[in-house]
Amino acid sequence: MKQKVVSALAILLLVVTAKAQKVDFEEYKLDNGLHVILHQDNSAPIVTTSVMYHVGAKDEDPEKTGFAHFFEHLLFEGTKNIERGKWFEIVASNGGKNNANTTQDRTYYYEVFPSNNLKLGLWLESERMMHPIINKIGVDTQKEVVQEEKRLRIDNSPYGRWSEQIAINLFKKHPYRWQTIGSLEHLASATLDDFKEFNKTYYVPNNAVLVVAGDINIEETKKMVQDYFGPIPRGADIKRNTFVEDPITETIKAEYRDPNIQIPLIMLGYRTPEQTSRDAYVLDMVSTLLSDGKSSRLYKKIVDKKKMALQVFAFNGSQEDYGSYIVGGLPVGDNTLADIMKEIDGEIVKVQTELISERDFQKLQNKFENRFINSNSSVEGIANSLARNYMLYDDTSLINSEIEIYRSITREEIRDLAKKYLNPNQRVVLEYLPEEQPAN
Amino acid sequence: MRKSVTTLVMVLIALTVNAQVDRTQMPEPGPAPEINLKDPQRFELKNGLKVLVVENHKLPRVSIQLKIDNPPISEGEKAGVSSLTGSLLGNGSKNITKDDFNEEVDFLGARISFSSQSAYASSLSKYFPRILELMADAAINPNFTQEEFEKEKEKLITGLKSQEKDVKAIARKVTNALAYGKKHPYGELTTQETVNQVTLTDVQRFYRNYFVPANAYLVIIGDVDFKETKKMVKEYFTPWTKAVPPSFQFSKPSGVQYSQINFVDVPNAVQSEISVQNLIDLKMKAPDYLAAVLANEILGGGGEGRLFLNLREDKGYTYGSYSQMGNDKYAPSLFRAAASVRDAVTDSSVVELFKEIDRIRTAPVTEKELKNTKAKYVGRFIMALENPETIADYALDIQIEDLPKDFYKTYLERINAITVADVQNAAQKYISTEKTRIVVTGKGSDVLKNLEKVSLNGKPVSVNYFDKNANTVEKPNYETALPEGVTVNDILNKYIEVIGGKEKLEAVQSYSLTAEAEMQGTKLNLAIKKTANNQFMQDVKVMGNSMSKQVLNDGAGYMIMQGQRKEMDEAELKKLKEESAPFPELDQLSGGVTLEGIETVDGKKVYKIKVSDDKAVFYDVETGLKLQVVTVAKMNGQQITSTIALSDYKEVAGIRFPFLMAQAMGPQSFDFIVKEIKVNEGVSDADFE
Repeated sequence: MKQKVVSALAILLLVVTAKAQKVDFEEYKLDNGLHVILHQDNSAPIVTTSVMYHVGAKDEDPEKTGFAHFFEHLLFEGTKNIERGKWFEIVASNGGKNNANTTQDRTYYYEVFPSNNLKLGLWLESERMMHPIINKIGVDTQKEVVQEEKRLRIDNSPYGRWSEQIAINLFKKHPYRWQTIGSLEHLASATLDDFKEFNKTYYVPNNAVLVVAGDINIEETKKMVQDYFGPIPRGADIKRNTFVEDPITETIKAEYRDPNIQIPLIMLGYRTPEQTSRDAYVLDMVSTLLSDGKSSRLYKKIVDKKKMALQVFAFNGSQEDYGSYIVGGLPVGDNTLADIMKEIDGEIVKVQTELISERDFQKLQNKFENRFINSNSSVEGIANSLARNYMLYDDTSLINSEIEIYRSITREEIRDLAKKYLNPNQRVVLEYLPEEQPAN
Repeated sequence: MRKSVTTLVMVLIALTVNAQVDRTQMPEPGPAPEINLKDPQRFELKNGLKVLVVENHKLPRVSIQLKIDNPPISEGEKAGVSSLTGSLLGNGSKNITKDDFNEEVDFLGARISFSSQSAYASSLSKYFPRILELMADAAINPNFTQEEFEKEKEKLITGLKSQEKDVKAIARKVTNALAYGKKHPYGELTTQETVNQVTLTDVQRFYRNYFVPANAYLVIIGDVDFKETKKMVKEYFTPWTKAVPPSFQFSKPSGVQYSQINFVDVPNAVQSEISVQNLIDLKMKAPDYLAAVLANEILGGGGEGRLFLNLREDKGYTYGSYSQMGNDKYAPSLFRAAASVRDAVTDSSVVELFKEIDRIRTAPVTEKELKNTKAKYVGRFIMALENPETIADYALDIQIEDLPKDFYKTYLERINAITVADVQNAAQKYISTEKTRIVVTGKGSDVLKNLEKVSLNGKPVSVNYFDKNANTVEKPNYETALPEGVTVNDILNKYIEVIGGKEKLEAVQSYSLTAEAEMQGTKLNLAIKKTANNQFMQDVKVMGNSMSKQVLNDGAGYMIMQGQRKEMDEAELKKLKEESAPFPELDQLSGGVTLEGIETVDGKKVYKIKVSDDKAVFYDVETGLKLQVVTVAKMNGQQITSTIALSDYKEVAGIRFPFLMAQAMGPQSFDFIVKEIKVNEGVSDADFE
């Protein structure tokens, strides 16, 4: 009898735990094609309104790069009903915050407000979608700002060009070969009509998802969403090109010199499949195994035991069409880049040939569980995940089920996929060097 | 029945019509949400450790924060000892090896990190008891070994080295060192020299003195039970020996006596870092603290601040410009307004930053600005409530900063009571225009000339010069006078000598060169062939197709630009002849070129030799090598400067050639990397047809 009570309690506990992590949401489409996702959480009096547009650097004309990111600036300039330069003031003066970001695949805009300003958030985003003002003064100002952003983030920043250098070597046909910041020359020579055309093509309801998350009432919110977004006309269907890269079969050697650094950096870049594929999830686990935490393989061996590197890293840059898997390190003292590469390669070969231990495997599972729980810790973060899962993974419910994918990955898969993707002849070897070699 | 349905539909339609929103009007906010600020639960251990617990069961996780609130510590000639102590903590303990410790923390999917006077851990709640135990053990029984010490020391030194050219890092260090003086704990500079002074014994002593519970707070937040937590904390932290840190005196830093620019030259900078700053005495418990905070917010608090609106939105000088109003209970803090701006507008940005600082003091802010800024604070306060750590942060503030108990409960009320006059008074009290220090870190050769002309409030401003370690230095000299007696031929001869000697160069009948560059992923191939008989060919190919080709042979020449052939005229021929000789310097020995002076290129002193009105060549004063060629061309009525930087000299057939030719023209630049050079082979007359 006693035994039974305990297990019933245990089951109850399990249920409680599981429930605590579930993100409830509701999704539907407006007539104009806008996808809407609502998530109610009344534990704090705040609300996030966000819109993700399915346009990123990869949708750009190779002769007009930087447009998607440029829009992230331009679309704060004002709308038919919001005077130029007032956007930030409106948000701040109503106790909110807002921002936007652009990747290769999508552009994301959001506001967070105390929940009594939900309507305001919807109004702002619907204004942006319905009738933004794209004029000369706004374009000229933001051109200057973007130039400064590039100087700040890339030109003046130590190691600021690694991503660009990896991309141009890893991608020959796919638009992933250029950076979201794009080309300043392209932006400088772009005309007002170019920008208007880009807006007309991509910033339409049928290419967007709206998320409202936080302290809301679902029925009232639905009505407000219809009021503000319903009247926006649907845009033309979007034609997207597919770009298929030839496999990399021979090591690509590259070198770059950065005047802002003193310590060289070695980077090994591998092209990996699209983020929705199971392989991409497995590669996430491989990078965690290699470099996440002090007991991870690369860290323990190269930084800790052999003291050859200042830092090592491995990460799987997941994207919609292809990913970039990157491993690398910064040497300490007299160690060369070749020394570091040799050590890294040794560890990769080990993953490719030896099955990881049950304990290491359990460790990976624990790490992913921890990551999963923390990823749903703020309403702002939940809104972003909902939008991303819908738009780029075509499965909004991944917010609750993604952990199941990781749980289902086997030790054999980890070994086999390391073998499939992480071979020396499939990669870019980038030597990222200081401008001049130290004299000796 | 039928009728009633229709009526219903009508009503619905009417509702919809009524509900049509007027989107020309900004929606009004609904009633303000209710705020419910809870207090954390607390207790204290006999050794002085104060513990705060916030139960929050929304997610099955816990965070643990240990904070030791000691007064500032002077590290002096051993600066770096605190940083090393921090890195050596958390490497296991006397009871568990480092490897086992790291392995277990990682295995549980948790994190534990330490710095010299704090620690932080997070984990799923099911592993909380063990993580708390491990954290306490690592904090109380640290495992300092010589081996780890050496390793961390080398890492710290490598890290310092990596910052030597980092403009932002340099600016940050110098800014503090200048504000506080290098003898003050806040202004101390950690350098390779000071780190090399530190021993393992110093680390042990630092730990013993300062990692003590007298001023320590432990904050536990998340999915925990208070009673159980209290029991565990008592068990794990009671062994921490009661002790008080030694106190010592440091002199109060003094600000500048008059407004001035402090300039730090960083030749590789492409942006200037500007900080306009002054020291202030501001504590959180000061009655005008919130007014000062609002003044700062209006000036430079974010995307709506005056600095951002002026320097970014209006002028496009920068990606962002912001200001900060520091507060500190132990020492003066810093007010600073800052921006990273492009070289060409460094002086203008200083003027604009100063103008805004002056304006916030001299003119009252508008009612609207104040109203908006208050709303921003209210919103921020409400939004912070989502995070369970907020409750703990507020409780800690009250204790550490000695604030009234109801400081946060009455926060919104007090924010709303602030007047325009309060803001201006605070601005005048805490922000200075008479004694402001303007620290500019950037590329002197580009920005100094204009910076020296800056005047603020109608008065010229003196510029003082500092090195990367905040030491006073002489004004950098970019155009040095020529040493007496040096002639143009001395320089040409030295160059000829260092690359191989006259005899070897004269023996060159021909040479050919191939090089590659990349432009946005596209390969450019360059081929150059030259002979001693005035034959010259240069071909630039893009993806195998010739983009531009120039050929000179037998006194005649032509060029092909994108498929169009064009014969060269007199002027073009003359220009090309300058290029065509394998080593033009040999001919220049007999005249035709002039020595212009000494300049600086990439931090190196160089002789400038003028070859023609639109071409100058620069030779390294020290090594004699040719470093740079600058040509000016006219295109569509505009002057376009093209710079070729030569480096990476390597020997081929006994002659040193540059293997890296970095060409910059307007916004474009590409690095031609030489793949092959052949001397006296591989060139035939057919190449010049």
